[in-house]
Amino acid sequence: MRRTMLYLPGNNPNMLLRGHLFGADGLILDLEDAVPRSEKSSARILVREVLKNRDFDWCEVTVRINGLDTELWRDDLAAVVPYGIHGVRVPKVETPQMLKDIDDALSSLESMASVPVGTTKVFCLLETALGIWNAYDIALASRRVTAIIPGGEDLAADLRTSRSKEGTELEWARRMMIVAARAAGVDALDTAFPRVGDEEGLRRETEFTKQLGFDGKSVIHPNQIPIVHEIYDPTEAEIESAKKIVQAARDAAARGLGAISVDGRMVDLPVARRAEYTLERAGIITGRGR
Amino acid sequence: MGLMEAGRAAQAGTVESMDCLVTISPDAERRRIEISGSGVSRFRATMEQKINQVLDKLGSSENIEISVQDNGAVDVVLGARVEAAYLRFKGVIDA
Repeated sequence: MRRTMLYLPGNNPNMLLRGHLFGADGLILDLEDAVPRSEKSSARILVREVLKNRDFDWCEVTVRINGLDTELWRDDLAAVVPYGIHGVRVPKVETPQMLKDIDDALSSLESMASVPVGTTKVFCLLETALGIWNAYDIALASRRVTAIIPGGEDLAADLRTSRSKEGTELEWARRMMIVAARAAGVDALDTAFPRVGDEEGLRRETEFTKQLGFDGKSVIHPNQIPIVHEIYDPTEAEIESAKKIVQAARDAAARGLGAISVDGRMVDLPVARRAEYTLERAGIITGRGR
Repeated sequence: MGLMEAGRAAQAGTVESMDCLVTISPDAERRRIEISGSGVSRFRATMEQKINQVLDKLGSSENIEISVQDNGAVDVVLGARVEAAYLRFKGVIDA
């Protein structure tokens, strides 16, 4: 479940050590934008030591490395891959070839560290028009890819616009992400909402992106977590209805029937799948995600 | 941002909560450790042990003074800050 993934600045011990206490589904230990150039090496050492020595409970732990257009990304990977992270978040992915480069580097590091090859998943940040355009091919470029994420500020800049309160400028890119992610069988995760104090704005944006089909949202402040969870968590009524549908669909399948009726509504395969997804989000059944 | 010239005083860390500021500079006689901060009286021995452990692992044999201004850093953070300060002192990483 990836309703929320919380960014933690890689050079901030307070946040790195306490970040898992805020209840996000995932953590992003950030070596990229949150860390000034002069602190890159120091942050890399700190993040490595925290990963080596600390337990993050149930959280999915990822590290945002520096971009492939810098000289830093290979050292970033070397510092964190041996210590059992779930994945890396790669900024400014634009082409399938970039995934091949990351894949090769990860495989080599995993081999050296006796980590099973393929363990480290890749979350692709698509922060340019070219990245968005290539989303489907990028998602299929490596079996490691588990999610694609549209950019926010960087993407708006590359589109030669700026971020508005309504998010009009990102709307098409977000829709494109959903189609590409579903076609490729990976998760679609939304970019962070930048105005930390604007709870109504966050709520409005999350409701919209959830309706588009996003599986979750990156967050930049602990206060954003409960708002996003509240929107993503199914209501009691939704859970009860989903349980009925799933059970009825299973019974029908066992009896060799196709479409059936539950509470006067036709239930066919897509409806049953949606009900299963509701139960997955409620933590009642386990998903079959990549 | 270039590498620092080896052998000059170097720093890593901050004075923020749960962090520490580590300064390493040449010393005339030996490896010398100075620690200040709220928890020092209780944790001095373990902090000194951690600092020595990290420097030994990095192969440090120089006469240096390690000055730590602590604001509640746990050993993981202290170790990381000492390593970064020492590698900066040696001119191995950026500063």
